[in-house]
Amino acid sequence: MIIRLIIKEIVYKKFNFLLALLGVSFAVAFFVFFFTANEASTRETIRLTRDMGYNLRIIPKDTDMNIFWTTGYSEYTMPEDYVDRFLQFKDFSFAHLTATLQKKISWQNKEVILTGIAPEIEPSGIKRTAMIFSIEPAQVYVGFELAKDLQLKQGDEIEVLGKYFSIKKTLSETGSIDDIRIYGTLAEFQEMVDLKGRINEIMALNCLCLSPDENDPLPMLREQLDQVLPEAKVVMNTTIANARERQRHMLEEYFVLTTIIVIIVIAIWIGSLAMINAKEREKETGILRATGHSVLKISFIFLGKALIIGIIGAIIGYTIGTVTALKLGPGIFMITKNSMKPIYSLLAWAIISAPVFTMLSSFIPILIAVMKDPAVTLRKE
Amino acid sequence: MIQLEDVSKIFESPLKQVEVLIKITLEVKNGEFIVVKGPSGSGKTTLLLSIGGMLRPTSGNIRINDKNIYLLSDRERTKFRALNIGFVFQMFYLIPYLNVLENTMLSGGLKDIGTKRGKALKLAEDLGLSDRVMHRPSELSAGECQRVALARALIHQPEIILADEPTGNLDKENSSEVVRILAHYHQNGGTVIMATHGDDADKIADRIILLNKGEI
Repeated sequence: MIIRLIIKEIVYKKFNFLLALLGVSFAVAFFVFFFTANEASTRETIRLTRDMGYNLRIIPKDTDMNIFWTTGYSEYTMPEDYVDRFLQFKDFSFAHLTATLQKKISWQNKEVILTGIAPEIEPSGIKRTAMIFSIEPAQVYVGFELAKDLQLKQGDEIEVLGKYFSIKKTLSETGSIDDIRIYGTLAEFQEMVDLKGRINEIMALNCLCLSPDENDPLPMLREQLDQVLPEAKVVMNTTIANARERQRHMLEEYFVLTTIIVIIVIAIWIGSLAMINAKEREKETGILRATGHSVLKISFIFLGKALIIGIIGAIIGYTIGTVTALKLGPGIFMITKNSMKPIYSLLAWAIISAPVFTMLSSFIPILIAVMKDPAVTLRKE
Repeated sequence: MIQLEDVSKIFESPLKQVEVLIKITLEVKNGEFIVVKGPSGSGKTTLLLSIGGMLRPTSGNIRINDKNIYLLSDRERTKFRALNIGFVFQMFYLIPYLNVLENTMLSGGLKDIGTKRGKALKLAEDLGLSDRVMHRPSELSAGECQRVALARALIHQPEIILADEPTGNLDKENSSEVVRILAHYHQNGGTVIMATHGDDADKIADRIILLNKGEI
């Protein structure tokens, strides 16, 4: 009987129902739009950052930066096991940590940078795809310029500082110092240059967790590093990805503020409509009480309507929000269309939270209506 | 049996107190037809609503079949009202979006939908509404609306019908029809307390009570 009453009343008072539905749909669409686009923007920024390679270089604290930028690496070394200290900490902004030892040598009449690399570690414990290739003992990767000048190719055998290696791969041109590197395992290269157990850099990637109060992550990164490795310091490559991340954070802040406003406005909208509806149905409430229906049952009639509005509004809002995100998101967030994907879990979220929100917004007007003395409403006008 | 013992009702507002019922003592036997008369504001509606468990008196007791209805919890009183009392109002108070059949079935006294539907259809036939069962109140005349309200009050076969000026909005012919229906219910053993200005029911009433400024 309750459901029958609810549906009949909805059909009878279509305008009130549609207005409430409009409000709920708008709120859900707004949230879904922004969340979908924001997630896509985050994914794309992370992808761009990964594609650009490591953007953090952790080097011994005493490094002379003039020499560092001139030679391309620190002249000081630190113990290899320093990198393990990062494993003790969670919620860290450093990811894809790779210990390296770099040294310039003269090889075949060329200046090359021997670069020994250790396997990547993740302080967060999250399994991620490694950013750099993994190397087996007795194998090397050769930079573009070296390979080109010396006509080296995959499979060739080379001798470096008395040790023989097979070329696993010649790398593509990067337009950077990496084009004159020979990459090998850390252990082998440490032995070759007589720096066993030593490294002079830990390469890392910033996880794009910009500090809440500032847009520049470097102070936060330095603070975190001080906790882990006070013997080191960090330099960061400021990239286009950082600029994008700044923009995304700004939009996110606006979103949070706008969401609060939207929620308040829509709650007032729904509450007002519920109050108007309850007022219009005062006599109905009174006669339901007079004919032996409990306050609880009458409340269910009103709340049931709010529930239906919430569920339908959630579905409509999710659809509109997702479609709008797919169409307009790339332009507003400056991301590629391929990055934009529907987030299906948001539908479940909307179907649960929108009805709850609608019922909560309607709660006080409903309570006032059903608790009103029916004798007052049924007395002759 | 309905027993009122020194029942008073005072309505309080920020500016004043209004004594609507003043120490009403009244006994209504099972199966009686009581007409309550009095000018507007004399307390007729308040009296009926109090007897119907809808308006708690400020003081005094109201017993129905030896049960003090205002000592019951709200839930128990609602259930009592659903099973034992039928209301009819001057303004009909039909649900505008329900048809005749659905309005008739609105009573909370019967749970089984099948039984309710059968009884509603029978009542519609008895009250001359057979061809109007699918119509909404906006499509009915005043007389038809009041007959629907009567059907709603009668469907669960209550012991008591409380009718608050049921003929107030009707012409003579429809008023007579309403009184005839109430009289038929009374003849079948039901108790009727009817508040009215007019003399429609004087001939069939067992007693006429005059209410003036809250006193009998």
